[in-house]
Amino acid sequence: MMKQRQKEHKLSTAAKREARTAYLCLTPALCGLTFITYLPLLAVLVLSFFRWKGLTAPTFNGFDNYIRLFTTDPYFKDSVKVTIYFSILAVAGSMIYSLVVAMLLNRKIPARGFFRVVFYMPYILPAAAVYIGWSWLYEANFGLFNYILKSIGINSIMFLNDSDYIVPSLALIAVWLSGNLIVIFLAGLQNVPRIYHEAAEIDGANSFQRFIHVTLPSMSPIIFYNLIMSLITNMQIVVPALALTSGGPGNSSMFMTYLMYRYAFRSNQIGYACAISFVFFFLIAIFTLILFATSRGWIFYEGGDD
Amino acid sequence: MSSINLSGSRSASLKGIKARAKIGNALTLIIVSAMAAIVLLPIWWIFRSSLMTNNELYAWPPSFFPSRWLFSNYAETLETFKFWLYFSNTMKIIVPAVTGGTITATICGYAFARLRFKGKKVLFALCVGSMLLPPMVTLIPQYIVWTRFLGLADTYWPLIVPYFTGGGAFSIFLIRQFISTIPRELDEAATIDGAGPMRILGSIIIPAIKAAMIVVALLIFITLWNDLLQQTVYINTEPKFTIVIGLSMFRGGLKADWAKIMCATCLSFLPGVIFYMIGQKYFVEGIVMTGMKN
Amino acid sequence: MATAKELPDTAIMSEAGVIQWAEQGMLYDISEMYGPEDPKPLDSLAFKYADKTVAYSAANEILLMYYNKDMFDAAGVAYPPAVAEEAWTWDEFVEASKKLTLDKNGKTPNDADFDKNNITQYGCMVENLTWQLEVWALSNGGGFYSEDGSSLAIGEASSIEAIQRVADLYLKDNVAPLSSGLTDDGVQRSLIAGTTAMTTNGAWNIGTSLASAREEGLNYGVAVLPYMEEKVTICTGGPNVVFNQTEHPEEAMEWLKWYAREENNWENLISTGIWMPTLDSYYTDEEMTKKWLENPNFPEYEEAKSVLVDYAKDYTQSTAWYYVNNTNDFNELLGSVLGDVWTGKITVEQAITDNLPALEDAFAGNF
Repeated sequence: MMKQRQKEHKLSTAAKREARTAYLCLTPALCGLTFITYLPLLAVLVLSFFRWKGLTAPTFNGFDNYIRLFTTDPYFKDSVKVTIYFSILAVAGSMIYSLVVAMLLNRKIPARGFFRVVFYMPYILPAAAVYIGWSWLYEANFGLFNYILKSIGINSIMFLNDSDYIVPSLALIAVWLSGNLIVIFLAGLQNVPRIYHEAAEIDGANSFQRFIHVTLPSMSPIIFYNLIMSLITNMQIVVPALALTSGGPGNSSMFMTYLMYRYAFRSNQIGYACAISFVFFFLIAIFTLILFATSRGWIFYEGGDD
Repeated sequence: MSSINLSGSRSASLKGIKARAKIGNALTLIIVSAMAAIVLLPIWWIFRSSLMTNNELYAWPPSFFPSRWLFSNYAETLETFKFWLYFSNTMKIIVPAVTGGTITATICGYAFARLRFKGKKVLFALCVGSMLLPPMVTLIPQYIVWTRFLGLADTYWPLIVPYFTGGGAFSIFLIRQFISTIPRELDEAATIDGAGPMRILGSIIIPAIKAAMIVVALLIFITLWNDLLQQTVYINTEPKFTIVIGLSMFRGGLKADWAKIMCATCLSFLPGVIFYMIGQKYFVEGIVMTGMKN
Repeated sequence: MATAKELPDTAIMSEAGVIQWAEQGMLYDISEMYGPEDPKPLDSLAFKYADKTVAYSAANEILLMYYNKDMFDAAGVAYPPAVAEEAWTWDEFVEASKKLTLDKNGKTPNDADFDKNNITQYGCMVENLTWQLEVWALSNGGGFYSEDGSSLAIGEASSIEAIQRVADLYLKDNVAPLSSGLTDDGVQRSLIAGTTAMTTNGAWNIGTSLASAREEGLNYGVAVLPYMEEKVTICTGGPNVVFNQTEHPEEAMEWLKWYAREENNWENLISTGIWMPTLDSYYTDEEMTKKWLENPNFPEYEEAKSVLVDYAKDYTQSTAWYYVNNTNDFNELLGSVLGDVWTGKITVEQAITDNLPALEDAFAGNF
């Protein structure tokens, strides 16, 4: 009896000590969540209701910033469109590209390690350098791509100068940069139990049917993970505008993050830029929530819930 | 009878499968090689451009190889593009950020994976939630605090310190997932031997999750490597420029000399490639193991 | 995003920022910086707010035309004039450009079977960076703003027509490569690339890019810009300011004066051709002019003198940011509005009339 109680007492002090250790361990994360994430988010929301030019004191102006955004702002609507358009192209492109490459690399071919390095390589290059380097490939008058087009008899395309082509052109670079998705897909593929494939093959399923009925379902959690990561990365796109296009031609590469940067840091309209930030946050939240909501329907978790 | 027949046809079909697989693999190799060539083409094009004269660069039709390999372009580029300065500046950010980020991510991830405490679920949800909240959203208030309240404009602090809070939610999450795969029996055995949580972390967990820590380190490295926006915002003077700022300023300069810009581009490719070559074995291994667990 | 406490006594700032700072009352009136006997900077280089001089440019940079003499010789076309009095009209300029444009079969746009999809040599490339377009609006009797900078003139027919003419060089006349006005390397990708016979751009190119191109064999000359209605070019140059809260305005001005002295920038900037001097004496006193321009970094003396001295002195207006506020926002918006003009998707008239309210807003600083 005595012993039992002593033990419980000991346990609870051990539990207390464990909790104390945990809080101590989590101090950095707590600070981060407070000061880097949630308080600043609140600040963004609050500041978005102020007119603040930076040099003078902020003045409250209600919903004026938001009203201006959605009515008279000459950039904002295009900027939302362009950001979504780019994200869809880049996410769809990189998902398809990296899944295809991963499936090819999953076969027993020689020098797999080498190929993996090759396809991964673009991801580790600094994005600013990549966009600047590619701009020379896209160059209208002297670039590689127009050389290829012309040699197969197609008139040259003004990849970065034509508002119809710039977003697809930049999205292609984003696809090229998506080597990290390949590695994750590859890992997933290696975990699809061989036996499923063999069973399906013996049942007479061709490789396309196997892809639809075996690979895709068993890969669905990883596809979902990559989808979310790729979406968040691509929605935040800013480097090409910053390093290369300045948002042009027209507003055709005026990505939201870049517009926010321009208002906040070049025109000193801090409150207004915060309103853009908040709309941007809202947009990302909506997109991810949609993905999460639909995910229940198509994600197949092995062994039920995990 | 029927059972013998069945097994006979089965082995025949297996043979057929093997033969088809061989042809399939040969075809795959050809396709993969072609795709790899396409993926490498832009890098080659940038590299060959860096070795040309400007006249050659603006020539039509363009050629795949420089007529003379002008490695002297690099020497000339280095006169104005201060690669070593930018590189060491970048390292002044990356080394502490990567170290601090990896260590704090490990500690926090460990607490989430193993320790019991009140409010764990809420905290973890907040943490995962913040993964969906990109740093761009909160840039403005952070900038105001760093530069106006703390007076740290044109320093590296605003770029480094945030990584000391667990290296970002993604890093914590990754480490936590990774630790979850290590059998609990190991640390329970150690607990019975009287080891406290910190000793368990040091002697059991960390040796087992080295690969994940390297992944976190490389991910932080790449994030910083790519983060032109925050570096542009916080760093204002040339002696403090990082590689990516140096490069975009170099491109935007009055003397737009594309051969030299391509040299500078290739130079800024180098550190990433080298680090990747060193870490790639662990990196792929780590991703392979973490990719599974979500 | 700077606060008043952090301000130094003096600074070099971006051209488009000066009037904004002045409007906030942060700049010191430096009208007294040069005494009555001192040689003064050219009038076109003074930034003015409410009739007070709040900054002088540290350098002078005018827009001019560069051309490839060998291409003119090969086509048998007379060189564009360096003397403003003889400047080409826009139509003469387009005519000359047509003679200098060649497709891969050697045909020009004047030939019936000209292949506009395979042009190997262009007659001209008029730089269309937004701020440089102002010169054409002025040349056609319009402008970005009214003369005193108090209202917008970009919506006037003459301004719209001027910008359309620049776009038409590519769209209609087939004498220019496509350029979207996004990058600063116009001279490199036209004249130095060896694909274009004439290009317009700032004087700094003499030092920054053309000097080394000449060493590599480019035989180039300088000329005045063609004109539409009025002979004009614009100038700019990084401004030096004194901040209002300084406790040592006299010393600050003395320092600026010293800092801006040509002698201090001679070796690296002026004699190399990157900066033009600011003091009027270089433009009026032939001794001084010779000291500056009789120099192998410049084109032949007479030609250089009539463009860089006479044209700069007599035909030059300040770019709008010397006296108009919010030019940065305005130029960014205008550049964005015109983005689809260069590829011919819309006309300048559509672009500007559709966005006039927004342009007005930008001009008024409502952004």
